[in-house]
Amino acid sequence: MTKTILLIEDKPTLQDTLKSLLELYQYNVILAANGAEGVQQARLNQPDLVISDIYMPVLNGYEMLEQFKQDTVLRHIPVIMLTAKTEIEEIDMALEKGADGYVTKPFVFKNLHTIIKKFLP
Amino acid sequence: MPHELILTAIAIPVVLVNRAQQTVTYANEGAHTLLNKLFNTKRGVSYPNIKIILHDHILSEDESHVTTFETRLPLHGKKADLWLEVTVTTMIWDSDRHSVVTLTDISERKTKELDMIQSLEKEKSLHEMKSHFISMASHEFKTPLTAISSTIDLLETKLQMDNLLDQFYRHNISKISSEIFKLNTMLDEILTLSTIVSNNIEVKQQPVDVQQVITDIKYQYFSERKDERELDVKISGMPRTVYADKNQLSKIFTNLVGNAFKYSAGNPQLKLQYLKHKLVIKVADNGMGIPAADMPYLFNSFYRGSNVAAIEGTGLGLSIVKDFVERNNGTIFVESQEHKGTVFTIEFKYTPETAAFA
Repeated sequence: MTKTILLIEDKPTLQDTLKSLLELYQYNVILAANGAEGVQQARLNQPDLVISDIYMPVLNGYEMLEQFKQDTVLRHIPVIMLTAKTEIEEIDMALEKGADGYVTKPFVFKNLHTIIKKFLP
Repeated sequence: MPHELILTAIAIPVVLVNRAQQTVTYANEGAHTLLNKLFNTKRGVSYPNIKIILHDHILSEDESHVTTFETRLPLHGKKADLWLEVTVTTMIWDSDRHSVVTLTDISERKTKELDMIQSLEKEKSLHEMKSHFISMASHEFKTPLTAISSTIDLLETKLQMDNLLDQFYRHNISKISSEIFKLNTMLDEILTLSTIVSNNIEVKQQPVDVQQVITDIKYQYFSERKDERELDVKISGMPRTVYADKNQLSKIFTNLVGNAFKYSAGNPQLKLQYLKHKLVIKVADNGMGIPAADMPYLFNSFYRGSNVAAIEGTGLGLSIVKDFVERNNGTIFVESQEHKGTVFTIEFKYTPETAAFA
């Protein structure tokens, strides 16, 4: 069965590229441009996995994670964060807020795919 | 009266005040000139003028007690201020308490001081702006860089799925993606150096499991390589924590291992040796090595070995590594032989007992 991934990313180019990549690997992709839209889309579509940027307008990745973890339905969906900073504190912060995995930008898609496959075998 | 003659002759403005009667007993020529600038006192210096200067400074009742303060007053009829250093000495004369008030115009010094403070603050804010700019610029560069690298991944994946990924595409795609990651490394180095130079760097020491740091960086930076090379990690002894900044340790190892991949063709080796009193970490490769003539300058900023001109680099990596090792009370040294390989050895002390549970 096709798995659905919710991709939350505010940069249109990266959003478009990642969507195409994920679709090449037969994932069904839903898009959101910020954390608030992300939460909304997740409630509406119940994705199997979320890939999210951290620095976004309206609701950033950390705040979005908090909302996910407080929601009884959303809290079980694995979330992979795309972090722009390689500082360990940033990564620790994401993991502390409940992220299930992360890749630092720029990343090799294979690395991201390895993590996706861990949650969606 | 000779005393009065002396006071009259002195160029420093002096005023004698009878505190009990609240009157000005005497003001010398200097005082008249100065106070006229402040209060337009053509008809003589009055007690209220002095009250304004003294403002709310409490004067001592004790004889010979000296009070000194600086004050700023507006010049009469001008949009400018005068800075005064005021010295008040209490004395008892004719059974009345008097104050001898000496006024020194310190406007020139004060203006210079203020200018100096202002230019220091300006310089500080410029400095902050500069490091903020570098930090912002490096992060902003990563957005297009990420989009480019993902687009390359997309092209490669599509070509592969359509069975079109031949040697030509593979070779050239890997060139683009390796350049992207080189550019990313340079950005990280410039960012790190700017925090070091601006002294904005904080060392947050805590007990760190070095083995975990190595596992993290291996997974994050040195896995899924296009050339299928790997980092070999060997561990000996009983693992213990070292007291260091985790982020800086991670940068140290990322840099040394990155260099080992960059300047050799085989699999780099990382050995963690937990000895009795210290942790010894060796990062080794069997690559091109460092010419003996370059060894003394290896850790200098922007210095690059004479045999690496064809390989990109900023010459900042090792200077950052050395800075971070030393900030964490460690030592680093290097052994190398040209065409044979290079071994960097770092030593850290273990977390002291007292800090283990901090």
